[in-house]
Amino acid sequence: MSTATHRAWHRDLALLWHQIRYEQLSFWRNPQSAFFTFVFPVVIITIFGAMFAGGDEDSYFYGLSALEYYVPTIAAVSVLGSCYSQLAIVLAMRRQNGILKRVRATPLPAWMYFLGLLAHCVVVSVVDVALIVGVGGLFGVPFPSPAQLPAIAVTLVLGAAAFCALGVAVASLIRNSEAAPSVVQVILFPLVFISGTYFPIHSGVLNRISGALPVRPFNEALLGPFAQHTGFDWRNLGVLLAWGAVGAMVAVRRFRWDPRPE
Amino acid sequence: MPDAVVVEGLSKRYGAVEAVRGVSFTVGHGEIFALLGPNGAGKTTTLEILEGFRTRDAGRVEVLGRDPGDRAEGRALRERIGLVLQDIAVEPYLTVRETIARDAGYYPSPRDVDEVIRLVGLAGQERRKVKALSGGQKRRLDLALGVIGDPSLLFLDEPTTGFDPSARRSAWQNVRDLRDAGTTIVLTTHYMDEAQALADRVAVISDGEIVAEGTPSTIGGRDIARARIRFALPDGCSVAELPVAGLPVDAVPAEAVPGDGLVTVETRKPTEALHELTGWALRHGMVLDRLTVDRPSLEDVYLRLTEHGAPEHNTRRSTR
Repeated sequence: MSTATHRAWHRDLALLWHQIRYEQLSFWRNPQSAFFTFVFPVVIITIFGAMFAGGDEDSYFYGLSALEYYVPTIAAVSVLGSCYSQLAIVLAMRRQNGILKRVRATPLPAWMYFLGLLAHCVVVSVVDVALIVGVGGLFGVPFPSPAQLPAIAVTLVLGAAAFCALGVAVASLIRNSEAAPSVVQVILFPLVFISGTYFPIHSGVLNRISGALPVRPFNEALLGPFAQHTGFDWRNLGVLLAWGAVGAMVAVRRFRWDPRPE
Repeated sequence: MPDAVVVEGLSKRYGAVEAVRGVSFTVGHGEIFALLGPNGAGKTTTLEILEGFRTRDAGRVEVLGRDPGDRAEGRALRERIGLVLQDIAVEPYLTVRETIARDAGYYPSPRDVDEVIRLVGLAGQERRKVKALSGGQKRRLDLALGVIGDPSLLFLDEPTTGFDPSARRSAWQNVRDLRDAGTTIVLTTHYMDEAQALADRVAVISDGEIVAEGTPSTIGGRDIARARIRFALPDGCSVAELPVAGLPVDAVPAEAVPGDGLVTVETRKPTEALHELTGWALRHGMVLDRLTVDRPSLEDVYLRLTEHGAPEHNTRRSTR
């Protein structure tokens, strides 16, 4: 590598760090987004904890206790919330009020802007998952074994990336920021419902369908290392990766920075 | 050194509407160039093409020697240009200082953050959140973000729309200071006085075409136009009684228009005409009330130039 490209690379790395820091700052300063991102999943797992604490293993929960099942699925839905939902809504809003256009007016490369957002989403996801595991621990759910941590970490990052890409894709297809929250929910709600997030699904047909969509594979890929000591779930990770690629492709082709379409 | 901006035969259409039709102009380094025109004339579209926000349908565009339509050039170009746009915003929850420092990090050799805060008159507001700023303060922040990268070329899209008079004066001074420090400035405006006060050169754009170009004092033949003498007719006196025979040959008194009731005499020899008129009034013991002598203002020239294109414009659009 020549000195010049080395220096340019070094500068880009510093710029990326700069961008991640300010993206974090913008998020934590906004009391609303910080509150909803963390409070909702914690409230859900606390309610489930109160409902199911001390329950025995059950074949309905695939031989797990109810809470052993719910800690990873609620962790998964919190990642969906902070990556897919938040990102789609925030980007649609930032486009509408001209924040994205202002960013586009600077020399910050687009890929770096999105990498900054992704890094932010991963950080938020990790905090969310840690909170949920912590609350689960209070209700007697054992922490995942250290041997499973690499699989959990990889699944988490890959899932966050895939759902970020899908969030950006949906933001690219939404024209009006006021419609963003409802569009995001209309897509997400049935998907979460049929994917076993809030109760296990024992219908083979339904599972085959949801298994090809992005939410159930993410649930399964987390459930394995969290509760069943089965490590990397490559098949489901593959499905997630494919959905992430689809999202990224739509985003690259359709993303707009300008509030007024050309 | 080649020009900072070169535009040749630029065209852009939105569906059936031709927003820009064969516009050409150049902007030299270190000058303030104003695109003057009514709303919808194509000013912002032209500017956004130069900034790389919009694609063009035809023509050649060069900004600091680069093509803004070429995405590969985007980053290198944006490192050297600054933009103050109309429909933009920044993160509401960051402070003034954080917002400026954030953008400073995007440029290879930015200006000092505190110096820029002082320059735009936001000293003392550094720690306030953006959402708590007044409209005028937000516009100052926009200007700060436009200049933080120490641009050699600055685009200002209607920079003082909505400003109060004193805020406008200080914004104008900011712009002049930047020009004096070597920054080239391209601005759009629909305010005549703004173009008059700031611009080294003006192009009037109407219905997507440049209808006149020059300095604010010579554009549209202002400097060689006839002077205009206006006054109220004395009571009981008609235009026919004015000393027409003694006036210079090109001076023909025009009837008072109902609105202001002033008679107008246009001439290339205002000294002689005035002498004859006032002498006539004194001899008859009359007073020429509200007497003024002026040349067509930039606004007169502008209205003449932009009205001219209007009827043609309407027929063209309705036939489509």
